[in-house]
Amino acid sequence: MLQRVNVNIDGAIIRATRGASVLNTAVEYGICIPHLCHVSNLSDIGACRLCIVEHVVNGRSNITTSCTLNVEEGMVIMSNTEKVRKLRRNLAELLVAQAPNSRAIQDIAVRCGVKEVRYPFRNDNCVLCGRCVRVCSEVWKAKAIGFVGRGNARHVDHPFGVRPDFCKQCGSCVQLCPMTITPCDGPMKPGEERLCGNCESQLMISEKTPGSCTWCKLGESFACGRYA
Amino acid sequence: MPRLNSYRELEHLRERLREQRQDIATTVMICGGTGCQASRSLAVIDAVRKELSSQGLDKSVRLCATGCHGFCEQGPVMIIEPGNLFYCHVSPEDAFEIVSQTVVKGETIERLLYTDPVSGERFNTESEIPFYQAQDRQLLSQNLMVDPCSIEDYIAVGGYSALTKVLRGIAPEEIIKEIKSSGLRGRGGGGFPTARKWNECREAPGDEKYVVCNADEGDPGAYMDRCVLEGNPHLVLEGMMIGAWAVGARKGYVYVRNEYPLAVKHSRIAVQQARELGLFGDNILGSSFSFDVDIARGGGAFVCGESTALMASLEGKVGEPRPKDVHTVIDGLYHKPTVLNNVETWANVPAIILKGSSWFAAKGTPGSKGTKILALTGRIKNTGLVEVAMGTPIRTVLFDIGGGAVNGKAIKAVQIGGPSGGCLPVEKFDLAVDYDVLSEAGSMVGSGGMVVMDEESCMVDVAKYFLAFLQDESCGKCVPCRIGVDRMLEIVTDITEGRGRPEQIALLEELAETISQTALCGLGKTAPNPVLTTLRYFRPEYEAHIKEKKCHAGVCKSLITYSINPDKCTGCGICLRGCSHGAITGSKKQAHIIDALLCQKCGICRSECQFDAIQVV
Repeated sequence: MLQRVNVNIDGAIIRATRGASVLNTAVEYGICIPHLCHVSNLSDIGACRLCIVEHVVNGRSNITTSCTLNVEEGMVIMSNTEKVRKLRRNLAELLVAQAPNSRAIQDIAVRCGVKEVRYPFRNDNCVLCGRCVRVCSEVWKAKAIGFVGRGNARHVDHPFGVRPDFCKQCGSCVQLCPMTITPCDGPMKPGEERLCGNCESQLMISEKTPGSCTWCKLGESFACGRYA
Repeated sequence: MPRLNSYRELEHLRERLREQRQDIATTVMICGGTGCQASRSLAVIDAVRKELSSQGLDKSVRLCATGCHGFCEQGPVMIIEPGNLFYCHVSPEDAFEIVSQTVVKGETIERLLYTDPVSGERFNTESEIPFYQAQDRQLLSQNLMVDPCSIEDYIAVGGYSALTKVLRGIAPEEIIKEIKSSGLRGRGGGGFPTARKWNECREAPGDEKYVVCNADEGDPGAYMDRCVLEGNPHLVLEGMMIGAWAVGARKGYVYVRNEYPLAVKHSRIAVQQARELGLFGDNILGSSFSFDVDIARGGGAFVCGESTALMASLEGKVGEPRPKDVHTVIDGLYHKPTVLNNVETWANVPAIILKGSSWFAAKGTPGSKGTKILALTGRIKNTGLVEVAMGTPIRTVLFDIGGGAVNGKAIKAVQIGGPSGGCLPVEKFDLAVDYDVLSEAGSMVGSGGMVVMDEESCMVDVAKYFLAFLQDESCGKCVPCRIGVDRMLEIVTDITEGRGRPEQIALLEELAETISQTALCGLGKTAPNPVLTTLRYFRPEYEAHIKEKKCHAGVCKSLITYSINPDKCTGCGICLRGCSHGAITGSKKQAHIIDALLCQKCGICRSECQFDAIQVV
């Protein structure tokens, strides 16, 4: 039988499954916590840091990622405080400045309340969320792609840069990649470096994250735990 | 040497070794540490050995290549017993003189003695030298007495007696209690109470537990762990054995970076010797305790000094940190309870057990006990390793021990604790070396590296240097550290190159807060510290770079121009010959001129000029 524990997320007392992560529990109960690197049924590495929450222990609150934090009896979590929203907005701003052409990342940035980007845009095609690497090694046990390099030089590649035979080109990596959800066309041209806000991301009307799940389109296309 | 099967056999061996050593009247101890090796101490050791044997003294004089003595500035250094004569800057050519005068006749060679640069006074022994006087050398002084490749030396000076004391009847709980009342805190950076770590690991469920020694020291300008591990590896191993007994571990690892070849070599020899003597293995000294240590080499990633990354690396995985929602004392190496301590922490353990916790707790401040080794580097006269009691003011370390800035400049700031620490200005030099005091000031004791900066250092440039280091060494796993630190570097580079905008300071502060709150591991969380502390204490410098577009220290190349003061220039032509870009013109005995378009601002002319005629504005 599944063991249950009581946790308090944003004031709601939730009977959660022991061993589940805070993020999964919250999403399952309809509390929206933005996330990027988390995919249901894959291990969580806490790379994107978007799912940060305040975890209150003995009256002191720690900022931690909800995907790597497991529920425990009597836990108090706050996912939508002013502090968390501000930090999350800054993180999303860093992400969208790095890969401004991904509509998925634009949407996440809008969800997190980014209205202006204060950094020069870079036209990177990868934000190293590691979804592709994990689906390849954990679901298909293939390990045909992995992280190579450190710091700025970190990138996803085949072993030694050559596609191995055990890569069956199944396409799971492509399917989970946030860059492949209908990206904007092409890199930003010099002089036109801005987020237009005209696509579904609706940058102009950006507001804070809704506290409750709205079964949004973003979640559906983005493999949010609610749709899994 | 035969295997030791009981405590008594170890004591017998110790007595025999002591008797052997009593017959030797003269001992020549030459530093064979990495610092002195760089100034040719190996050649000195060879020359002295040859000289001793050619004069027929190789039986009656003991030549000992020891670990680091600490005064690396004066290397190679040498101590001759009896008399404790201290010679510095020794060269192989001095060997004949040293052996025939000092060793044979007992005469002092004046020119090899240490001369105080301020008073010009000569000192005969180490203890008279101001650099050593203000120190409290508990760990470093043991380096002088032993040859790191000889377990006999270590046993002769009382080595492994703390282990015997423990195995003969101190319960693990008692050891942890003793460490707790000694107040020992982690020496690697965080300052976490050691006893609490041990206790949590001891109480963690599971039979298989590990102890690990973190010798992956990557901070720029810090080398105290290298010095202890290569100078006295058995001390660290003994500490690990006591820790293993306390937490119930049977296996230990020393994770040492491969860039420390001497430390790797010496610790491997030490482990081998200890195994041969039966100090590692099953039923150590006839007790029920079994323990063994392996040496693992790190590939040189800064991030592998972080506990979870180090353990991943030990397991053969990519050295990347993982979230620490469950601590490593419960879920560590191979998912087993693991105690990870720094080299210096382990090295402190045997003395606490032998001399008692009250001896250790008598040194230091209420929050920080014992002594700490600091590495003095940068623009300071006496670079080297310094061991002081906790609570010693920074001023004492920099001026009484360090001797102040080089070339009569004024010290402007000191970066304490490596890239994760912070820069403290002169006004804060009365603060004590203490975990809590320094972290309140925005810095930290960290590993204990102290990089001294004088008035010719630009603090924005210093912040840029540390950011570039951290960005280069970030593992790249999480967004705040990989992209955030890169963006901070981008902004600071903008500021140093004259593209800074006033609103960028606020952005830097906001970004710093985001990174320190949300980064995955401790290294990421402390990555903004250099920027935060320089902004806190040296904000006018940032503002001068942004508003006036001036670098008053004359470091940031985009913001300075070189020119020649015609009143001071004598037309000697040294700068003209030294300039590799052909930017200086002028005829003999006429004031020269720098062509600003050709000038690459390398600063060669400035350092060559004898008349201080080159101006930087």
